[in-house]
Amino acid sequence: MKVVKKIALVLLIVFVGIQFIPTSRNQSDVVPATDFMLVNKVPKPITNKLQASCYDCHSNNTKYPWYNKIQPVAWLLEDHIKEGKAELNFNEWDDLSNRRKKSKLKSIISQIEDGEMPLSSYTFIHRDATFSDTEKQEIIKWMTQLKDSL
Amino acid sequence: MKNLKVSTVILAMAFIGLTTISCKDAKKESTNEDGHQMEASHDNNNNHKDEGSVSDTPEVEANADNTQKSTATTPIIDAYIQIKNALTTDNKNEAAKGGTALVAAFSEFDMSSLTGETHKEYMEIVESAKEHAEHIVKSPIDHQREHFEVLSTDINDLVALLGTEKTLYQDFCPMASNGKGAIWLSEVEEIKNPYMGSKMSTCGSIQKQIN
Repeated sequence: MKVVKKIALVLLIVFVGIQFIPTSRNQSDVVPATDFMLVNKVPKPITNKLQASCYDCHSNNTKYPWYNKIQPVAWLLEDHIKEGKAELNFNEWDDLSNRRKKSKLKSIISQIEDGEMPLSSYTFIHRDATFSDTEKQEIIKWMTQLKDSL
Repeated sequence: MKNLKVSTVILAMAFIGLTTISCKDAKKESTNEDGHQMEASHDNNNNHKDEGSVSDTPEVEANADNTQKSTATTPIIDAYIQIKNALTTDNKNEAAKGGTALVAAFSEFDMSSLTGETHKEYMEIVESAKEHAEHIVKSPIDHQREHFEVLSTDINDLVALLGTEKTLYQDFCPMASNGKGAIWLSEVEEIKNPYMGSKMSTCGSIQKQIN
């Protein structure tokens, strides 16, 4: 019994300890003029869907639930966001050349089509981020139109 | 009692060890990411809002007969061909090697002679092509093929822009890209399809000969 207590104590100390290691937050009040929603005429339902499903990792502003402020979850998340933003940052959409916009749209479409995005580890917690089949079709149709108009 | 202590210590060390390892990994990635971001901000300098007509001129209009004879693009085209040939034989690792070679070829390319519009267009093509090459390095083969699709358009535009000394064939496969069709460039006249896997290697036709 004593062993268990000791292990628990050590783990607790480590757990408390790592809370003091700082992580950078992905938060910003400013929506730059280059934002996807500002440069494109995005229908309201699609705006809402993109914001709920994509913007947490693909923009400069993440809506953090409380448990994401706790280590080691925060580290994991920080990594995901970094990677996500490097691939695609909706806030910086208009900084891309048309060539790259097209290529990004193609990737967006194929990722949603194949169900690779949003990540299942994300939708597991954020139920509202999941795409229903109709939503999937709508968003793919709209993104394709945008791609072809460029 | 001693045993208990020892096991507690081991457990604690293991936990700390694990967390530091994952932390390290994260750091490593972040340097990678930084590289990526640098590229992205580089992009900002060269972005412009309504180039439309310039950058998406489709391959068809590209000069069929009067492609410039240039050797400058040769390393880039060679690396592209390396990826293409790897994909025709379903060889993911070889394709990844080609991707690395392509990224290297771009960074070694001397663009000091490029000016004005040509320079701008070159930069746009390269930013896109490099991104696809990087993804080809780290992706499974089906993703490699998706990136190769756009890469092919980029390289085709690059050839139209800067020319080549090589004889190339612009091939088209109507079945690629989920039936939307896609082009690729080949150094040989014979059709060797990089999109459909070795089973459908001969699907496609020559659209145009360059040089």
